[in-house]
Amino acid sequence: MGWNSNKADRRIGGWADRAALLTLLLSAYPAIRLTAQTVDQLALRFTSWTAVTGFERAVTDSLVALLPGGTRDRFGNVIVTLGRGSPRRLASCDIDEPGYVVGNITDDGYLRLRRVPGALLAPLQDQMLEGHRVTLFGEAGPVPAVVAVRSTHLARFRAAAAEAPFTVDDAFVDVGAASRVEAERLGLHVLTPVALTKRPLPYGDRLLAAPRAGERVGCAALAAAVLGQPKVRGTVVVAFAVQSLYASKGAHAVAALHGPFDATAVALLDARYHLTPVETVSLAAADSLRRALMTWMEGR
Amino acid sequence: MRRAALLLSVLPTFQLSAQDDPRISEAQAVLAPLVESYGVSGAEGPVRETVKRLLPAWANAETDTAGNLWLRVGQGDPVVVFVAHLDEIGFTVDSILDDGSLHLRTRGGFYSSLFEAQPALVHGSSGDVPGIFLPRDTGFVRRAPPPLRVSIGSTSRAATLARGVRPGATVTMPKQYVRLAGTRATGRSFDDRVGSAAQLLALRRLDRAKLKHQVIFVWSVREEIGLEGAAVAAAALGPTVKRVHAIDTFVSADSPLELQSFAVAPLGQGAVARALDNSSVTPPAYVDSLVALARARGVKLQVGTTNGGNDGSVFTDYGAVDVALGWPLRYSHSPAELVDLKDVASLADLIQAAAEAW
Repeated sequence: MGWNSNKADRRIGGWADRAALLTLLLSAYPAIRLTAQTVDQLALRFTSWTAVTGFERAVTDSLVALLPGGTRDRFGNVIVTLGRGSPRRLASCDIDEPGYVVGNITDDGYLRLRRVPGALLAPLQDQMLEGHRVTLFGEAGPVPAVVAVRSTHLARFRAAAAEAPFTVDDAFVDVGAASRVEAERLGLHVLTPVALTKRPLPYGDRLLAAPRAGERVGCAALAAAVLGQPKVRGTVVVAFAVQSLYASKGAHAVAALHGPFDATAVALLDARYHLTPVETVSLAAADSLRRALMTWMEGR
Repeated sequence: MRRAALLLSVLPTFQLSAQDDPRISEAQAVLAPLVESYGVSGAEGPVRETVKRLLPAWANAETDTAGNLWLRVGQGDPVVVFVAHLDEIGFTVDSILDDGSLHLRTRGGFYSSLFEAQPALVHGSSGDVPGIFLPRDTGFVRRAPPPLRVSIGSTSRAATLARGVRPGATVTMPKQYVRLAGTRATGRSFDDRVGSAAQLLALRRLDRAKLKHQVIFVWSVREEIGLEGAAVAAAALGPTVKRVHAIDTFVSADSPLELQSFAVAPLGQGAVARALDNSSVTPPAYVDSLVALARARGVKLQVGTTNGGNDGSVFTDYGAVDVALGWPLRYSHSPAELVDLKDVASLADLIQAAAEAW
């Protein structure tokens, strides 16, 4: 592993180093304070959350409730401070995700979308919406909906539809409303966050597929490490950062409000099929990451 | 308050509509378990079992050698048949590759892009095996993906076989019946679980004493791959059938994405007489008679034309008249099919009326 305490950011985890990490930690630290099952459960829970960048409040509420001593700073990041004195170190992860907000509501009750942030993060990001369930997080709570798609049958005997990928400008969100008023009665309005409905899928040998799985399961491992009550050396500030997709504004705020730090570590898992709805991580690697984080916090 | 709302969101959404009219509640109670049963063409067993479970206690249904489920009610000529299909679109495993992934063959017509990079369910010999439809790694400028493959997380052919997955197994995507605003609902395979549900709902209300002739309700197999189950039923009955009612989707253009040149049957405005499609034409006199019947019984009915074929069309080879009935559906053959439950109740009423009084 070659751990050190340089000031440079470190990504902890990844499939490439998983075998070596497991060997090292199992031989050195047989007394595990949190079971792998708990990490699996947290991973499932975290990947079922939706936190469109800039609209993370519901998820940060859940994190504050989950983590003893958890608070929200003025930028919205969730902070847990462990230990005291020096060195002062930071362990963080990003909790936000790319998504959409309602940009307009049509007279016949469909909702149009604006991407958040503005740029595509993956070439087919928008296309993954077409013909699928989405959830709108309105004033009155989550509202289920679908994104309209042309009926297969009605395309028959007609010129082929456009071959270009589906984009956000093609999206009509159907909540079942027949008018703008009906949609608004559901607590929906311009800026309501919208995301693909989360359906985290365990499969294979402890694999987990979900949107943004690499980041979100990294956060689950970090939360599990905190819940494992590590005996930290000095002070460890644990940050669940918001707005990473807006030029890492959350992380910058963490540094400004809670730094400076002598060393930092970022909890992130390598993922296959990155930035797709089936982004896949290894839960065994997540458990290794939790252990590595605890070791790092304890300064061993 | 926000936390409470989030917790509610993980409950089945169809439980949250406590103030429904009893007809809507009943339609939902029958439709939801049918939608959440899996049955790609040729593997309709789970759906057939759900239908059997939802039949009235008096019903004595039989399964034929093709897999169609039959229920005969009443006696005498002429015979009238109602037929809804059990199957849904999907895939079968064509072969298992060296890396353990599954090469697929489509069953029915649909946009494969709607399955790309989505969760998958392989219906194996030892039960359902979760996996993923693999995302493409090239060709990002096209909407359509290359031929889809599924990974169940194994890395060799032997490991995949050890999970009970064999060529011929069917593959779908996990699905859920979800209630939307008002009386609308979404899910995958409303085509033709709504037809199957409408037949069940009609049977629950049917006054068997009113029947003047034999009525046969059929839940057919393999419609999506060429009306195969219905063809077996039609051959078995031959020329004894006077009238057949395919109970199947009216694919509606009630959507901002569709041309408005035909198939414009708004959701929530009732059942639809599918008077002309790509497999049959209902004689205009029969359409007129049906409209009169609906009016007399107070059933909301629309009349229209759409695309697709219907199971009733194979009975016409034996001299039966095909009077196809449907309900308006948005986003056909997608994971986001959308219906209005008022139309489901309306269709059930129309079936009951056609059985009892036509």
